[in-house]
Amino acid sequence: MYRLLIKMAWKNSFSRLSRTLLLITMIAVSMSMMIGIQGLYDGMANNMLDKNKRSASGDISIFAKEYRVQKDIKYRIKNAELIKKDLEGMAGVKAVVLRVKADGLGATARKSSFASLYGIDLDAEEKFGRFGEFLKEGAISFDNRGALIGLELAKTLKLHVGSKLIFSTQDINGDINSLSLRVNAIVQTTNIPLDSDAIFVDRKKVQRFLGVKDGEVTQIAIMGEEESLENSLKDKYPEYDVKSFLELQPMMQMMQDMMFIFNSITFFIVMSVVFVGILGVMYVSILDRIREFGIMLGIGMHYKYIRLQIFLEAIFVSLSGYISGAVLGAILLVYLRDYGIDLSAFSDALEMWGYESVIHGTIKLSYFTTTFTAIITASILSIVIPLRKIQKINPIDVIKAEK
Amino acid sequence: MIKLQNVNKYFYKGEPREVHALRDINLTIEDGEFSLFSGPSGCGKTTLLNAIGALDSVDSGHIFLDEREITTLGEDARTSLRLNEMGFIFQAYNLVPVLSVEENIGFIMKLQGFSDAQIKKRVLELASILEIDKLLGSLPNSLSGGQQQRVAVARAVAAKPKIILADEPTANLDSANSKKLMDMMRELNEKEGISILFASHDELIRDSVRRVIKMNDGALI
Repeated sequence: MYRLLIKMAWKNSFSRLSRTLLLITMIAVSMSMMIGIQGLYDGMANNMLDKNKRSASGDISIFAKEYRVQKDIKYRIKNAELIKKDLEGMAGVKAVVLRVKADGLGATARKSSFASLYGIDLDAEEKFGRFGEFLKEGAISFDNRGALIGLELAKTLKLHVGSKLIFSTQDINGDINSLSLRVNAIVQTTNIPLDSDAIFVDRKKVQRFLGVKDGEVTQIAIMGEEESLENSLKDKYPEYDVKSFLELQPMMQMMQDMMFIFNSITFFIVMSVVFVGILGVMYVSILDRIREFGIMLGIGMHYKYIRLQIFLEAIFVSLSGYISGAVLGAILLVYLRDYGIDLSAFSDALEMWGYESVIHGTIKLSYFTTTFTAIITASILSIVIPLRKIQKINPIDVIKAEK
Repeated sequence: MIKLQNVNKYFYKGEPREVHALRDINLTIEDGEFSLFSGPSGCGKTTLLNAIGALDSVDSGHIFLDEREITTLGEDARTSLRLNEMGFIFQAYNLVPVLSVEENIGFIMKLQGFSDAQIKKRVLELASILEIDKLLGSLPNSLSGGQQQRVAVARAVAAKPKIILADEPTANLDSANSKKLMDMMRELNEKEGISILFASHDELIRDSVRRVIKMNDGALI
């Protein structure tokens, strides 16, 4: 019996081929577009998160207590090299970098601006966060008093590769010292504070300049499995301030939540359109065959079998739409992941908000599973009204109507 | 055996246009009958056929199929009764358009849960009697009216119901096809022992049946 019902449902689903193909196309196109938009939204958010982690905080950062409030070099980690060694031996830790930071004044002969001097190890930063990928102009090198400047700071101070600048700040003893630097490269991390304030210089040079010892730093950044690692580090280093990425950058959590809301709204709108599409086609298809269903009831076919047949018809059509949409969506996502969308025309606005001008999509299995659930749910809901119509059929009315 | 006791049916009851469609019908139809409800248009023959077939309700009176009263059954039980005890032949054939002739003939048997082998055997047997054995793989839309009506007859007969109700089965057929159909139905009635009740004003049917039940203005005459 069920084999026959499946056969009837299958044949009925495709008996009005153009109508069915139109619906399948509508589902497929809506779904692939929605998946593409989800991939882009997530891609934008992930890209921002990823660059912030790579350029600044890592998954977890360790600071001296009070440093994050006072921002003073006297609140520093004094045995950083030992801790680094210790961390590198821990399970789940992928990379560790040491950084020294001091806020001060960056100045040229004509311009000056607030700036932050970051002492970093280029090799370690490359391993930690592929620092070289942030290069916008010039060459990543600290040779010849070289410094790497954030893009926005370079604009503010009107600096180019080869330009000279002075950075002044107070050292560990409270004396105001200056450091003469030459711009070797301009970098863009799309991490807004870094791009607008950062001057990257060799860590050892910064340590000497500030008068702190070789093993003394202001930040230890760690790449690793955040959740499991964070608690063990907090237990292990109670004398320090151990913070996760999202604790350090609550805006990123907000950004993720906002992207989730955008995705949900898009998802809801697209699924509503799909629902109305399936409902319309199923309703018309059933109205077209109302006499057929009446006769079936008349000759003794129970309503439950008719209900099953219509359910199967809706599933066949929506599944065909889903499969086509999943294939199209996957192709679109792969394209967006590999090539991205070039929004260079809006690069100023995007970069101001910390986005890249070429946006790459991400691919998640959840795009396909949630859409599958939603389309199947939409197709089931779409037959509720037509089924009620059939339930109300009195076979005798149909039989009389044909005479 | 079908027994009707004081059956009354009204259309538009309580309205000014009320019609008394069936008036105090008392009737017994024995097993194996080959009978016709005959009368002018609007005399109530189709209404009576539908009431016997548990397709339509009545306002008063009782209809018994063997010892079982069918007028008091609920919708589900009436559907089961139509499935298991009755066969229907309609003027417009009403075959399932997406199923082949073979599947249409076996449709009721499939609903009743017969095995594929049993269905196949019965379909071939009936197709041979009704001379549609060459059409088993065809879809209904590719058949002539006469062929479609023979498929509808085969579908109605296949599960060996107690009674077949045929409402104007020859109305869409030419005289040659009508005669052929009636000969075949008579043969089935004799071979299978199934009661067949017609509602029609076709003279050919009147000449073919063994009993004519005449009606006028909703009453038996």
